[in-house]
Amino acid sequence: MREAEPREVAPSGSLRLRFLLAIALWVMLGIGGIWFSATRLFADHVEQSYHEELEVHVHELAMLLRLDDQGNPILSRPLSDPRYNVPLSGFYWQVTVNGKAPLRSRSMTRGSLDDSIAYSPHVAHMVEDGPTGPTITYGLLRQHPDGGDVHLVIATDEAELNRLIDSFTRELTWWLMALGALLLATGIAIIAFGLKPLDRLSLAIARLRQGAANRLEGRYPTEIAPLVSDLNAYVRQNGEMLDRTRVQAGNLAHSLRTPLAVLTDEAERLAAADSTRASASVLLDQTRLMQQQIDYQLARARSSARGQTPGVASHLQTVITPIIRAMRRLHPDREFSIVEHGEGDSTVPVDPVDLAELVSILLDNAGKWARLAVTLSLERNEDGRLIITIFDDGPGMTDDQIAHACEIGTRFDPVMPGSGLGLAIAKDIATSMDAILHLARGRTGLVAQVILPVVHA
Amino acid sequence: MRLLLVEDEPELGRRLSERLRGADFAVDLATTADEAEHWPDLDKMAAIILDLGLPDGEGLDLLRQWRAARVDCPILILTARGSWQDKVEGLNAGADDFVVKPARFEELLARLNAQFRRHAGRRDNVIEAGYLRLDPLTHEVWLDGAPLVLSRQEYRLLHLFLRRPGQLLSQGAILEDLYDLQTERELNTVEVLVGRLRRKIGKDRITTQRGLGYRLER
Repeated sequence: MREAEPREVAPSGSLRLRFLLAIALWVMLGIGGIWFSATRLFADHVEQSYHEELEVHVHELAMLLRLDDQGNPILSRPLSDPRYNVPLSGFYWQVTVNGKAPLRSRSMTRGSLDDSIAYSPHVAHMVEDGPTGPTITYGLLRQHPDGGDVHLVIATDEAELNRLIDSFTRELTWWLMALGALLLATGIAIIAFGLKPLDRLSLAIARLRQGAANRLEGRYPTEIAPLVSDLNAYVRQNGEMLDRTRVQAGNLAHSLRTPLAVLTDEAERLAAADSTRASASVLLDQTRLMQQQIDYQLARARSSARGQTPGVASHLQTVITPIIRAMRRLHPDREFSIVEHGEGDSTVPVDPVDLAELVSILLDNAGKWARLAVTLSLERNEDGRLIITIFDDGPGMTDDQIAHACEIGTRFDPVMPGSGLGLAIAKDIATSMDAILHLARGRTGLVAQVILPVVHA
Repeated sequence: MRLLLVEDEPELGRRLSERLRGADFAVDLATTADEAEHWPDLDKMAAIILDLGLPDGEGLDLLRQWRAARVDCPILILTARGSWQDKVEGLNAGADDFVVKPARFEELLARLNAQFRRHAGRRDNVIEAGYLRLDPLTHEVWLDGAPLVLSRQEYRLLHLFLRRPGQLLSQGAILEDLYDLQTERELNTVEVLVGRLRRKIGKDRITTQRGLGYRLER
C-alpha cells in the first residue's frame, strides 16, 4: 500500500460505538424496568400474603379464646403456628380483657403490644413498636360475655417481611445483572457479525489502494452490494478515463511531433544558406524547446494521472527483465546485469508503465555514460521498502552536477544524444508514485537509487 | 548503400528521402505497412528506417515479421511515440535503435552509421582497407593518407567495396546497392563507374573477374 495518507474525511464517531451505546441503553432500561416492576410486584404479593396470614391468625386467636372461671382469658389450644411459642421469634399475640393483666404468647418474653389497635369488631392493622422492633400489628375487638372489651392483638416483626423482600430483591438483582451482561455480550456479538461486511469492505478498499487488487473483491450483503458495485464501476470508469487521457495525450504529442519534424527539417535546410542561417537557428532552438515541452508535459500527464490511481501494482522482475533485454540491444557494448539481494515478494504499489519509464530512463542514462558495465541491484531496506540501485562505471557526476541533474534541459555533454529531460522526468515520476529518487557519486560512476513505496499489510 | 524508409506522412517521407539521398544513400520509400511488407528486395537493404504508426498496420508487427523472416540488416525505428514502453517494446521486437521525432538529421545519420559500424563489427566509424580510409559520417576519403575527391556515385561504390573488401561483387549487386527501385539501371553504368574509380585509386586495386564481377583487393 502506498504511504498512509491523511484522511480527507474526519470520522464522526464510531458506528460500532453507536450500536453498542444504543444496545447498552436499551438493556439498562429493560433490565431496570423488569427489576423495578418485579420487586414491586413481589413486595406487594408478599405483603398481601403476610397480611392475609396475620388476619387468619387473629381470627384463629379469637376462635381459641376462652375465659376461665375468674373471667381470665385462656386459649383452648396453642395457635397452630409454632413460631408464637419461640421466645422473641418476632411472632407475638396478646389478649387483654377489661384491663386485667394481658395474656401473651410464649414468644413474647418481654415488652407489650398496644391494645388500642383493637378498637372495633373488624380487623385493623398498623405498624407499631413491638418487643423486637417495629411490628405489623393486627387487632380485633370482641365483647366480653360479662360486658367489657376483649382486645386481641397479633403482631409480627416488620423486619421479617423486609428480609423476605430484600432477599428476593438481591437474588433478582444478581440474575438481572447476569441477564444484562448476557444481553450486552449478545449485542456486541451481533454488532461484530453485522459489521463484518463493512470490515471486509474496508480490507478490500485497502487492497485496492495497495494495488493488490484492481477492484473491490468479495461478496457483500444486499444492503452493501449496490454500494460496492457503484464503487467498482467508479474505479473502472476512472481507470478507463485515465487510459483514454493517456492515449489522447499521446495522440496529441504524436500529431504535434510529425509537423515538428518537418519544421526541424526545413530549419536545417535553411541553416545551410548564409542568408537564412540566423533565422534557422531561432527555428531550431524553438522547435527543440517545443519538443522538450511536449516530452516533459506528456510524461508528467502520464505519471500524475496514474500515480493516484487505486488498484495498480508492479512486479519488479516482470517490469525490469524486458527493459534490461532492450538495454542490451540499445547499448551492445555495455554489460547490463541484475543483482538481487534477499527474497520475498517484490510487488510494489505503482503503475508498471511509470515504473518501466523511470527504470528505463535511469538504465539508458547509465548505459550512455558507462565505460563497460551497468548493474541494477534489488534489495529491501530495514523499513521493508524495495530499493532499485543502478550503478555504472562511467565518469560519474560532481556534487554540483548532481544538484542540477534533475532540472529540465540539463545536459552535461551536448555531444551525447538526448534531450536533457530524462532525469527531470524520472524525478517527476518518482514523486508521483511516492518513491524517492536519489543520485550520488559512486566509487567509479553515478549511483541512482529509487526507494519505492511499501505495501502495507 | 540502399535504405528502405517506411514513413506514411508524405511530406516528412519526401524530405527524409531527399536528405538521405543527399547523404549518399539510395533510398526506397514505402508509405504503408502492406507496401513495406511486400517490398521486393529487402535482402539488398543496408538498413531500414521504420515508422511505427502506419495507416494500415503496426510497424512493430512488420518488424517482428521481418526478424522472423531473418531480415538481419539494422532496423532503426523513427517514430513520434516517445515513451520508454514503446522503445522497450520496439527494441525487444528486434529494432536496433529508436529515434523519436523530431530528430535532427545529423543525429539520425549518426545513429545509422553507428548501426552500420556495429553491424560490421567495427569499433570505429572510419572504414579502412590498407591504403584506403573512408569516414561515412563526414564522407571524407583518404588514399595513402592524402584526401581524395570523389563524385557521389564514386563514393557510394567505394563505400560498398570497403564494406566488403576482398569479396566479389556482381554488377547486379552493385546496381542494387547504388540505386533505388525508381532509378533506371543500366549495366554499363557500373563499368563506367568502376573505370572512373580505378583512375582515382589505382588501376590494379579493383580487379575484374570476367562474367562474375569486381573485387577490391586488400
